This record gives sequence, C-alpha cells and structure tokens, in this order.
Amino acid sequence: MKIQDYLNTDYAQKCREAYNKAKAIQDKTNATITFIDPQKRLNDKLEGRLKGVAIALKDNVSTRDIKTTAASRILDNYIPQYDAHIVDLLNKEGAVIIGKSNMDELAMGGTNLTSYFGLCHNPYDLSRISGGSSGGSAVLVAANVVPCAIGSDTGDSVRKPASYCGVVGVKPSYGRISRYGIIPYASSLDHVGYFTTNVKDAALMLEVLSGRDDRDMTSSYNPVENYSELLNADIQDKKILIFDNVLAAINNSEIVDLFNSLVTALTDKGAIIEHVSFNDDLLRAMLPAYYIIANAEATANHSNLDGILFGHREEGESTDDIMINTRTKGFGPWIKKRFVVGSYALFEENQERLFRKAQKIRRLIVEEVLSKLKDADILLAPAAPGAAPLIAGQTTDELSDESLIADNHMVIANFGGLPSMTVPMGYIDNLPIGVNLTANPFKEQVMFDVALAIEEYTGLGGAVKEVL
Amino acid sequence: MEIDEIKKLALDLKFALSDDEARDIQNDFSILDKKLALFDKIDTTNVEEMIYPFDVETSFLREDTVGHYLSQDEALANVAKVKQGHVVVPKVVK
Repeated sequence: MKIQDYLNTDYAQKCREAYNKAKAIQDKTNATITFIDPQKRLNDKLEGRLKGVAIALKDNVSTRDIKTTAASRILDNYIPQYDAHIVDLLNKEGAVIIGKSNMDELAMGGTNLTSYFGLCHNPYDLSRISGGSSGGSAVLVAANVVPCAIGSDTGDSVRKPASYCGVVGVKPSYGRISRYGIIPYASSLDHVGYFTTNVKDAALMLEVLSGRDDRDMTSSYNPVENYSELLNADIQDKKILIFDNVLAAINNSEIVDLFNSLVTALTDKGAIIEHVSFNDDLLRAMLPAYYIIANAEATANHSNLDGILFGHREEGESTDDIMINTRTKGFGPWIKKRFVVGSYALFEENQERLFRKAQKIRRLIVEEVLSKLKDADILLAPAAPGAAPLIAGQTTDELSDESLIADNHMVIANFGGLPSMTVPMGYIDNLPIGVNLTANPFKEQVMFDVALAIEEYTGLGGAVKEVL
Repeated sequence: MEIDEIKKLALDLKFALSDDEARDIQNDFSILDKKLALFDKIDTTNVEEMIYPFDVETSFLREDTVGHYLSQDEALANVAKVKQGHVVVPKVVK
C-alpha cells in the first residue's frame, strides 16, 4: 500500500478498512496497543499532503486524550493532555490516525519482546519476532494495514524492524524532526523515524514531519527540502562506501551474496564503489558504549515515572513508598536491569572508566566514520546479519563480531546524528533482508536517491505481506 | 557486584528487586564486564566526550505572547489523588 493509493479516492472507506484490518490481524500479530476509530476524524474537513491517509503511531508518541503507554505498565492509564509536535503536523496535513502501535517497553529493546502488552509477530512468519523497539509500526506497514507508521530510533529501533519486516525504515538527521511529545529514552541518541512501503513515500513523509520546533531545543533550523519532488534514481558518479567490517562479520553467505549482487547492480548504474574498513577494536567497543550511554541517560530521563503526577500509582505509607511500590510493579525486569546498569555507570567511581569513556569512544567512532564519509555520499551495509530471529530464540555469542559489529553497526548513525535508512534488498527462505544506507548530516536527499536506485533494482517498492 | 549491592542500588533508583531479578542482573554483569573490557583497548587520551551529535543553535528570544501551556485541570488530569487543586500524598509530618 502506498500513500498515493489514498489520494483522489474514497479515503474514508480506506481509513475504515485500515482500522478494521488492524483489528482483524491483532490476534495474529499483536501489533496494536490502542485502536482509534477514525470516524470522528473523518467528519472533519481534511486537507493537505496526507489528506485522508491512515497512519499508525508508536505508543510513545503523545496523543491528546488518547492513552499513551510506551508499552509499560507504569503508564497504562496515562492520557496525555497535549499532542506531540509531529501529531500537530500530521493533523495539519490531513492524516487519519487509526492506532497506537506496540513497542518494546519505553523503547528500550530491539526485539519487541519486552512490551507489557506482549510480543509482536512478524507478518512473514508469525513464529518470528518483528524486531523492535518500533515493532508494531513496522508490522502494520508490512501487513498492508497502513501506508505509513511512525516509530522512534535510539539505536536502530526503526531500521532493524524495517529489515526484519521487509519495509522502508527512515531515521533522519538528529534534529530534523522535533521530538516534542515523544516519551524519551536517551536524549542524545533519540530520533523520530517512520516506516513506509516505498522510497517516494519515505521522501514525502520527511517533508511533512521535518522542521524547526521551538518546543524541542535540539530541532534544526536547516531548511526542509522538497525531497519527494527532487527524488532522482540517477546515481551516476555517486560515491558509495562498502562497510567491509560488517560484511566480514556476517556468517550467512547468502546475505553477503545478496548484498554483493546489489553492489554490482549499483556499479552498473554508474555509482563509484569504494570499500572501507574502520578500526575493528573501535567497532567492537561500539555496542557496549551505546549500552552505557543509552542506559545512563534513560535512568535520568525516567526518574519522573514515579506515580505521583501521572502514571499507575501504587499506594504506600509515605511518598517514598508510593514511588518504590509504583516503580517496582510498574517496570518490567528488562527495564530494571537497564536502569541498574545506567546508574552503575554514573557512580562517581565508575564515571570516568565507563560513562565518560563511552562518550569518548562515541566521538572516536563518529570522527572515523565521518572522515571517510565526507568525501563520499553513502555508507552501505546489510542492515542485519540475518533474517528476523525466531521468537523461541537462538543462541548468540554476544562477544562475537557478528553480534558486536554486524548486528549493531546501525547505532553509528545515532552516535553521529547521521541520516540512515533501511530498504528491502531481497528475500532468503521467503524472509526479508534489508540493506542500510547512511549519509552525511542533513544529506537526506542523496540517501533517498540511492535508496530509490536500489528499489528500482530490487523491484520491491510497495512490497507487503498479507497476514489474513 | 554482590546481590545486596544490586538490591541497594535498585532501591536508590526507587524500585525493589526480587532475589531472582537481582541474581539475573548479577549474571548479566559477568558478560557485561567482558564487553566493557573492550573499552580498555581504546586509547581516549585527550579525546573530548561527545555529549550530543552536533551543536544546534538554540539561542533565541521568543515573542512575549502566550504559547503552549497546560491549564491547572490539564496538569492534574493524570494525578491519582487531587484535592482543591493540589496533588495529594501521604503526610510527611505526622
């Protein structure tokens, strides 16, 4: 399904179909936390670039008068009194929100297995994970319910589920989209992102969602380009860097073959291909550095979740007791674990050795990547070393290069605030495999252009997988 | 870290851990320590911490007009116990 399918048609009927379909696939996918009947919105006079387009929001996007849980028990009764900035923009452009989608609790995960509302199933194989943390949004687009869904991306939380679910997933530059009204995870890494089924829609969505917002001090004044109008699949002389460390760390030769075929096709289209390698030790330190920074920031960000001013309060004999009881029952074990790690890294005796060291490693990684990327257009690599894992789980060596580098390299774009997106590059055993493109800051246009060239090669623009 | 240390740390963060949860975290620290040992291979001498991806100019003066705000009713709408416009918590002085 594409955004274009909604324009110049009976969008009211299509929105009702989307709403009903989201409900119909719920038993199989568990992709939605809150369904929003579109009828009230459809009574409004809708105008704009998304006139009558059904859309889903990750459940960490604040929606006035609509429950917003971030998939956590502690917020399972929370009704925001204001809309996120992006909700204002979507409303202004005529979009119709039909649901709040499932996610990892507080967006702190990469599997969607940690949601208070249960895990999310992959449309291509219901016994597999959707990926996370924006799993529900990825599933609703992949299952042909909506043409676009909003997510958020702190490590790879849009781009990884996009790979697993066979859709387009975009995380633009840091500051490109306002985060006002998004329940935070780690402020120096958090980005708003989104899913579509094709690159042209992805370019249009960035036009709609971008722009300076004084309510988010980190939002950028850089002008918003007409990405969709300027879209051009001619990649003659575009310089594409092949991320060799990632390829070397992938054990699945079919994925490497699929990727190499794509690179050959891009060469045939006139792109200049150059292979690059970064310091392996630096890349191996990337995931632990991310884990320390993200959890330390999260520990501070979520200190306001205590049941006093909002959220699911558990009573106690003192204010302290209320907070402890609320947080003890309100957070899942995975969240508690991450808060403990984050706090541990901030201990006075650990700050230099862990937290500050991680921040310094972050700088070294970003500087190394930018030193190569500044003379090029795109850094290209498989988005993940495999298809979506089975829900039942599989054993991984957490200290292997496949885990540390190939499975987590996309965090580089969060470290550096670089625009980055995943598009489908093919299927292995009927399961989608994605390719990741990363560009220089605020160079989204060239990222979309190369992505479109990839899409033309694969023929997978608009690809979906019906669940029913 | 010892189990008691982990539990105390959690209480400082205002949540309690069951024995199983604390043991699970303790087990995780064994693999986490190995990952964090990877930091030792990186020379960060004279490297400045990276706090944000890049600086965004945020210095501006807004117009002296009413912007977005929450009314008192809106601000209290999600509070579990409210009395006469105040948030109710247990008495501190009894």
